Amino acid sequence: MTATEVRPTRVSAALAAAPRPRRGPRFLPALLFLVLLAGAWQLMAVLLDSVLVPGVPEIVTELADIVSDGSFLDQLGITVLRVALGFALAFVVAVAVGIAMGRNEFARRFFEPAVLLGLTIPGLVWALLCVIWFGIDLVNPVAAVALSSAPPLMLQIYQGTRSVDPDLLEMAHVYRFSRTTRLRKLWLPALAPSLFAGARLGLSLGWKVIVLVEVFGMSSGVGYQLNNAFAAQNVAAVLAWTLLFAVVMALLEYGILQGLERRTSRWRKAVSV
Amino acid sequence: MSAPVTTRVRLDGVGKTFVDARSGTPQQVLADFSLTVEPGELVAVVGASGTGKTTLLHIVAGLVPPDTGTVDRGDPRLGVVFQQPRLLDWLSVRENVTLACEAAGVDAAGADSALAAVGLSEYAGSYPTVLSGGQRQRVAVARAFAVEPDLVLLDEPFSALDELTARKLRLLLQDLWMERSRTGLLVTHNPLEAALLADRVIVLAGRPARIAAEYRVDRERPRSAEDPYLFDLHARIVSAL
Repeated sequence: MTATEVRPTRVSAALAAAPRPRRGPRFLPALLFLVLLAGAWQLMAVLLDSVLVPGVPEIVTELADIVSDGSFLDQLGITVLRVALGFALAFVVAVAVGIAMGRNEFARRFFEPAVLLGLTIPGLVWALLCVIWFGIDLVNPVAAVALSSAPPLMLQIYQGTRSVDPDLLEMAHVYRFSRTTRLRKLWLPALAPSLFAGARLGLSLGWKVIVLVEVFGMSSGVGYQLNNAFAAQNVAAVLAWTLLFAVVMALLEYGILQGLERRTSRWRKAVSV
Repeated sequence: MSAPVTTRVRLDGVGKTFVDARSGTPQQVLADFSLTVEPGELVAVVGASGTGKTTLLHIVAGLVPPDTGTVDRGDPRLGVVFQQPRLLDWLSVRENVTLACEAAGVDAAGADSALAAVGLSEYAGSYPTVLSGGQRQRVAVARAFAVEPDLVLLDEPFSALDELTARKLRLLLQDLWMERSRTGLLVTHNPLEAALLADRVIVLAGRPARIAAEYRVDRERPRSAEDPYLFDLHARIVSAL
């Protein structure tokens, strides 16, 4: 082909082959923030000298106790499982409803009030209602997480659906792509950015609600442990459990969400010249 | 080489009116329009912008239903090249073509030979986003022919490209056309492109569109863009526009 057609390809290929930045510096800023936070906290604890503000060593001791006890993995695991089940339910429903809303005027008008209502109801209310209705069943936390994370997911997916290129849908129509092919090869990849934005928002709401549910109505999980620590006035334990919880969230964000996002947006890298 | 072409497209008394989104006034694009594309024939429809060429093609493609009249074309397997490549950027070049093959129920191995035919074998594993505009459109051409179509629809396929690239792709299309006979409809605003590629050229004009002129292109393929006969025909098409 002509030189003008080959050249841009070579440039992108060279860029794609460029060495990735070293691993260390990527985590350095986050690490720096954490060290400064711990330092500031310790300074505050020393200055206030109160039992209500435990120092970093106390929190670390408490963390070590929780971790060495061995049951903490079970407690974290049960909470993560509840969030995962609730979120998975919300995700499946939200993809179906969100795409329907973006494609069909009736569906949009039908579900719009549900989404708006869902967005305005506080997570605390879902938690209370689910505890009242479902008691200590697994249904309770799963329903609470699903109900609180589905509305923002639906909104994101609905808005993403409207931005999918209608030209591609025409192409899929004339080439007779099956429903499954359209969903897997067109809709989901095209919606990926909205799905990730919605997943982040939905998960963060899910985490908040699950703790409330476990405080009010469960006898296991991180929320239950937090409630125990609160009842014993053990501030260090409250902070330690919160930290462990944050670690799990960070693992999820850095380990799973960002990894998936990189995978699904690999093709974008090819154009970011 | 292959089964005889039987796909015939017959439009009879087709009418289509769009309502202008801004002013709300109805625009009658087609009224009582009739056209027949015979099996194995490639018909080019030429007209200025806004004469309803693309509407016509969309009606034949089944993307838009006509308000009145009938479209009789059977249920052919379509190969369509749009003005823009319309590729799935998150799939590799090869996957873009094999996906269409799988949906059409033809051997996906045809994707590689189609890509070879358009000279893009070495990019089969790349994402379309690294390709130039001309290369992307060649992938779209490969996709249209890889599905072994009964009816090929070309909607101003090369109008978004620079003239040099467009010329090469026209000759490439001619080669692909000669390999296996099919029925085809080409919509273009380029009279020379129509004369070079088609068996019959139809000139659309007015609103609603009517057939202002019709020419049979009396030249065997392969044709050359420098052929004086084609240039003369091109001049006659221009005068009818």
